[in-house]
Amino acid sequence: MINPVIQRELFSILRTRKALAMLVAMSVAFSLIVLLRWPTDGRVDLSGMRSQQVFRVFSYTLLAGVLFVVPAFPAVSFIQEKNKGTLALLLNSPLSSASIFNGKLIGSLLFALLLLLTSLPAAAACYAMGGIDLYSQLGLLYVVLLTCIVQYTTLALLISTFVQSTDAAVRMTYAAVFAFGILGTGPYYLLQGETGLLSLIAWWLRAASPLTVVMDLVGHGDVGSLALMTEGSTLAEYLLLSIVSSLAFVAFTISRLNHRLFDRAKSKGKVTDDRQVMARGFRRLFFLVDPQRRKSGIPFYANPIMVKEFRTRKFGRIHWLLRLVAVCAVMSLLLTFAATTGVVDWGVKTIGGFMVLLQIILVVLITPSLASGLISAERESGGWELLRMTPMSPMKIVRGKLLSVIWTVGLILLATVPGYVVMIYIQPAMWLQVYMVMICLVLAAIYTVCVAAAVGSFFQRTATATTTCYIVLIVLFLGPLLIWMGRDAPFSHDTVEAALSINPTGAALSIIEAPGFEIYELVPGAWWVSGILALAALICLGCQVWRISRPV
Amino acid sequence: MATSPVVETKALTKRYGEFTALDSLSISVDAGQVLGFIGPNGAGKTTTIRILVGLLRPTEGSATIAGADCVAQSRKIKRLVGYMPDVFGSYDNMRVTEYLDFFGAAYGIGRRHRVKRIAEVLDTTGATYMKDLYVESLSHGMKQRVGIARTLLHDPQVMILDEPANGLDPQARIDMRELLLQLADMGKTLIVTSHILPELSRICDTVAIITHGKLRAFGTQAEIMRQITQRRTFEILLVEQEQIELAKSLVGHSLASDGEANISVSETEMIVRFDTNMPDRELAGLLAHLHDKRISVAQFREIPTDLEDAFLSVTSRGDAPSSAVSSAATAAAQESA
Repeated sequence: MINPVIQRELFSILRTRKALAMLVAMSVAFSLIVLLRWPTDGRVDLSGMRSQQVFRVFSYTLLAGVLFVVPAFPAVSFIQEKNKGTLALLLNSPLSSASIFNGKLIGSLLFALLLLLTSLPAAAACYAMGGIDLYSQLGLLYVVLLTCIVQYTTLALLISTFVQSTDAAVRMTYAAVFAFGILGTGPYYLLQGETGLLSLIAWWLRAASPLTVVMDLVGHGDVGSLALMTEGSTLAEYLLLSIVSSLAFVAFTISRLNHRLFDRAKSKGKVTDDRQVMARGFRRLFFLVDPQRRKSGIPFYANPIMVKEFRTRKFGRIHWLLRLVAVCAVMSLLLTFAATTGVVDWGVKTIGGFMVLLQIILVVLITPSLASGLISAERESGGWELLRMTPMSPMKIVRGKLLSVIWTVGLILLATVPGYVVMIYIQPAMWLQVYMVMICLVLAAIYTVCVAAAVGSFFQRTATATTTCYIVLIVLFLGPLLIWMGRDAPFSHDTVEAALSINPTGAALSIIEAPGFEIYELVPGAWWVSGILALAALICLGCQVWRISRPV
Repeated sequence: MATSPVVETKALTKRYGEFTALDSLSISVDAGQVLGFIGPNGAGKTTTIRILVGLLRPTEGSATIAGADCVAQSRKIKRLVGYMPDVFGSYDNMRVTEYLDFFGAAYGIGRRHRVKRIAEVLDTTGATYMKDLYVESLSHGMKQRVGIARTLLHDPQVMILDEPANGLDPQARIDMRELLLQLADMGKTLIVTSHILPELSRICDTVAIITHGKLRAFGTQAEIMRQITQRRTFEILLVEQEQIELAKSLVGHSLASDGEANISVSETEMIVRFDTNMPDRELAGLLAHLHDKRISVAQFREIPTDLEDAFLSVTSRGDAPSSAVSSAATAAAQESA
């Protein structure tokens, strides 16, 4: 008999509008890629250059689809069932934990396979153009993607058993995918050419990323290697790591599927004011700003919504913000310190480039988790109705919510200022560049907040809002960088410049003269485009809030 | 002295395309009254409430609270009304005091006054002991108390509570009833929806029964019982068992003109039971007749009907509104005129 969970899982995914949208979007994207790059003249490209170009774009799009679309459903799978109470019913049924897990895994994998199937016509077209090997390129690409799908699906299912809300599940899954899939490649480029344990760890981290393997497959293995030769393909290592980690995730998830998932006492939270003097003193020393102290009322000059947002957000409490800011400041100083001491012989510009990238990554990773649920979380919890019943205007509500995110993101950006100060101290002539980079970063933060808040306001569920925001922002920020990676071929200088102009990252990197970006003239064009897009997003948010707050 | 209605709806209608969620609802509630708003699921109760609090716009008709139009003066309505929806609307990582502080600030209550007010509403709702607890850690009953405390914060004239007793255990339900009565004593006008009719019947001055978007009955409980349950049920408790058949035949004879009369006997209990629409005068004649025939009657009593019977009677009836509606609506229209 077929496992009943598989059928239910697959049907429940397929019945969502999100799944339909994903399938349609993937099909359209693949069709467009082939159509746009299909040769229009009658001549045959014997070198296979053209088909290789199409294959690269196709491979990266497919990988992006797998990385950012596939984990969305398994990420919320267990937590959604747990919160709805159906997981308890499943665990009380004669189905074993392994059967329940297998049902969910296979259901999610079948949907992922469906997504991959939508790419087959485009893959066939690529192959038909010639110049691509069926087994060593196209076949291996699908093998890598299938392994990647299994790995990230099992990872997402595991995360789903740890978190307490669908929103947190989505955030944590995307953070993990981003860390393993993309960020993992970073240390290798930093330590390339070095020997020792750190360099070995960096190499294995790089090998764990599907991005590295796909780059190897499409002939981009040496991109970003600063004229150093990369040490062969990491395909075998990737497959090994992926299979081993998938098995570990499976075993760990199955071991967690029992009554202990529900065995969690509700925290009543003892107020510090009621503790003994010693305990109060210790907490004051440890937290600086004690989150458990009794709060005074919201002052008349503060927007109540903003204060509420800070208080209700887990990382919004000041003690968490202080920690986050401290980590950012230390990271920024460490990077600059690395440049000054000559431990890494890259110079200030490369370090500056890394700092800009790290800050943008931080902003893109943190902002959607803060801004995407601003409206959707209220609608999901029933709080929106209560807010509508208060005399506060919709604009005051939006203002308070945006301010709460802008303060947080602003503090994170401010924390990196010491790094730039050290940079100016080393190379005083860079003050203008740093000044302009800061403008870019502020603009990037505003842009991200506005886009995330606007996109998120269209959804009634926080998990969907967060997923969509991450996808939109990653497309907006990572897309231009992927196009930049193909700056010699297939994309022309103008195309890359236009693509880099849609967000301020490229502008910041070109101002700081990071390697590969110095040839582009992106300021003030990118500032204008980003400003206009942010304004459009803000107007969109305002209209949407007005729409959902008026009586109908 | 006649009091002016605080809440008033006139021919309130709400349509969603072809579907009519609310059909010409006309009710009025006087100051300090408690209105029980009853109806099965999907009857239109929440639609009415959402129009009253300014969250929905009616397709036709009008609604006013303390003279303020619910559509045109929705900002004023927000100050006049305290609304507790059936969904609590809690926030994570927030203690009860912080939760109330936020809503107090949202209503523009000054900080100093807010602190005092929070203490007052917590005291009124018996929730002072919860003030430092996280909202998400509260039980359903505790959350309902905090919900009412939040509703009371800005001292509204009218309180609209959607299913406040839903999901509460018997003790919490009794506590909730006491709390609502306390609020009524404070002079608040209350509109309460509930499915738990015995609870509602103990606190309501007036009752509105609504099904399929139409008002079926409206008035005081006594009026509604009188109008809806036109056939009353009586019991005659006899002293001697051998007189049962005679008593039954006498009753049958008296009810001969009533084609729908239903007479039953319980020999073990020595009871003759019948339902009728006979006026009290004729019933007195029947009793005298039994007495004349030397039938020993220990008790002659009407079996009281409750709100639940009235509700079932109305909901099982077709689309025709009861006379209670027409008389009450006419009275409301005359008063407003």
